[in-house]
Amino acid sequence: MRLERIVLANFRNFSSLEYQASSGLNLFLGANAQGKTNLLEALAMLGTGKSFRTTSEGELIRHEIPVASVSGEARVRAGTVSVSCVIAKGPRGITKRYTLNGSAVRYAGYLGNLRVVAFVPSDLSLVDGPPSGRRRFLNEALAQDDPTYYHALARYRKTLAQKAALLRGSVTSDEELLAIYDAALIEHGTKLMMARAQFVRDVARYAGEVHARWTGGAERLEVRYRPDAACEVITADAIGSALAERLRSRAAAERLREAPLVGPQRDDLDLLLDGSSLGSFGSQGQRRTAVLALKVAEYQVMRDRCGEAPLLLLDDVLSELDATRAGAFLSGLGEIEQGFITATSLPPGIGPMRSIEIVAGQLRENG
Amino acid sequence: MSGTLAQPVAALINEFSKLPTIGPKTAARLVFHLLNRPRHEAQALADAIMAMKDKVRFCTSCFSLTENDPCAICSDDRRDAQTFCVVAEAKDIFAIERADIYRGRYHVLCGLISPMDGVGPADLRVKELLERIGRERPTEIIIATNPNAEGEATAMYLSRLLTPLGPRITRLASGLPIGGDLDYADEVTIARALEGRRTMDH
Ligand SMILES: [Zn+2]
Repeated sequence: MRLERIVLANFRNFSSLEYQASSGLNLFLGANAQGKTNLLEALAMLGTGKSFRTTSEGELIRHEIPVASVSGEARVRAGTVSVSCVIAKGPRGITKRYTLNGSAVRYAGYLGNLRVVAFVPSDLSLVDGPPSGRRRFLNEALAQDDPTYYHALARYRKTLAQKAALLRGSVTSDEELLAIYDAALIEHGTKLMMARAQFVRDVARYAGEVHARWTGGAERLEVRYRPDAACEVITADAIGSALAERLRSRAAAERLREAPLVGPQRDDLDLLLDGSSLGSFGSQGQRRTAVLALKVAEYQVMRDRCGEAPLLLLDDVLSELDATRAGAFLSGLGEIEQGFITATSLPPGIGPMRSIEIVAGQLRENG
Repeated sequence: MSGTLAQPVAALINEFSKLPTIGPKTAARLVFHLLNRPRHEAQALADAIMAMKDKVRFCTSCFSLTENDPCAICSDDRRDAQTFCVVAEAKDIFAIERADIYRGRYHVLCGLISPMDGVGPADLRVKELLERIGRERPTEIIIATNPNAEGEATAMYLSRLLTPLGPRITRLASGLPIGGDLDYADEVTIARALEGRRTMDH
């Protein structure tokens, strides 16, 4: 897919901005705090409707203005698509409204019309950071890939919060109600775990391939899904029973601790290099190479699944890498239909290209 | 803004802006509109609001809002007394009645099960529903809670509780958009959802 135009109004430090995007790589250069990450954040919102930097969405709206918007037009295989997301400050907090081809849609209807794979500096700790980062990696890709995944995730989280309140004693304890929440957790949790297992299987293949290419086959990267309820085969029945069994075996402990202790909110990924855990034994360089392999694989899997390449967003990541790694990463991605890269100076690993300078919320075409 | 306005104007804007879907700007528009209307119109609005508060109460049978107890639906003999439609709020009755297809009675739960908000089954009109079923012996109970997480959990809870008592338990299903509310559904959608109701499996 190819984004043709993005228009921002009162988004962060941009009072108004219109950018006609090129195919291939679009490079945004600028010193810190001039707005390049803000622009990338806006591009990501065209795909995900959410900021990759903050959950306090009031920050997205320019100072002392009530409403901000991000809109984009893109060419996709099926034709053209226009999306927009309006973020407004109201008396009861921040509200967001979504539009698809001029009509108001719910979040689930907005999600995934444009797809983005974003790579930001905090992703560099994907391997050695906490499990929550690896679950976010799965959720962000899968929610865009499949609206029913997002729906299951939202339902799962809501039900989990209700079960937690029940276990905490917010209302009179009720075995029947607890059983109903567990049944809903199994139903939605099974969908999440099934989708995660299949996604990780696909990611593992690409990550292993590109990693082998980079290391000349000297090292072997394995990526494995480690669900909280382990299961031999990936079928809905098997996953559902494994989750049900685990809920049963931990039921007494959950009551004692007054908290849910079981389910995909505790899933993780195992990253192994030649059979040893990268997080525990790998060198800094080996971990970083594994992260790059994971992001390359995410891009490839997303491309396979929607039949066209997603928008690639690289926020100041290349400048964190040495020239060899940066070049290997870019060539590992294969042909990039369209990418947006921010950097403080021309990053290593890429040749001359159209570059845009960002100074104090204004764009200036170079050369 | 409020510092420069006459106190009664600021007070009314403040009251209006507490209402759902009304922000301070809309509240100010309503207030300035009323300022320009004759006195009797403002009086009629004030009277209507107070009459609603003074005269409207819960129907002691179905817990809908009514001026006369039992309510018009509960006391209408032409309606099918063998079918109950269980809804979360009285406003859902108006959504279903608008579709003009349902001919049975209602039962309002006055909320949905949500431990996060401190609402358990005992906080809803569930005990009253059980008593009513014992007394009136309906043959079918349609559970018409919204298809969101709380609505589904409440429906499942009621289904497990009521099935042993004998009536067929059905659930509004097809037609309602996922995550959609009865409140916003059009008449056609509600009619289709009623026709396509299914027996609950649990
Ligand atoms: Zn009544």
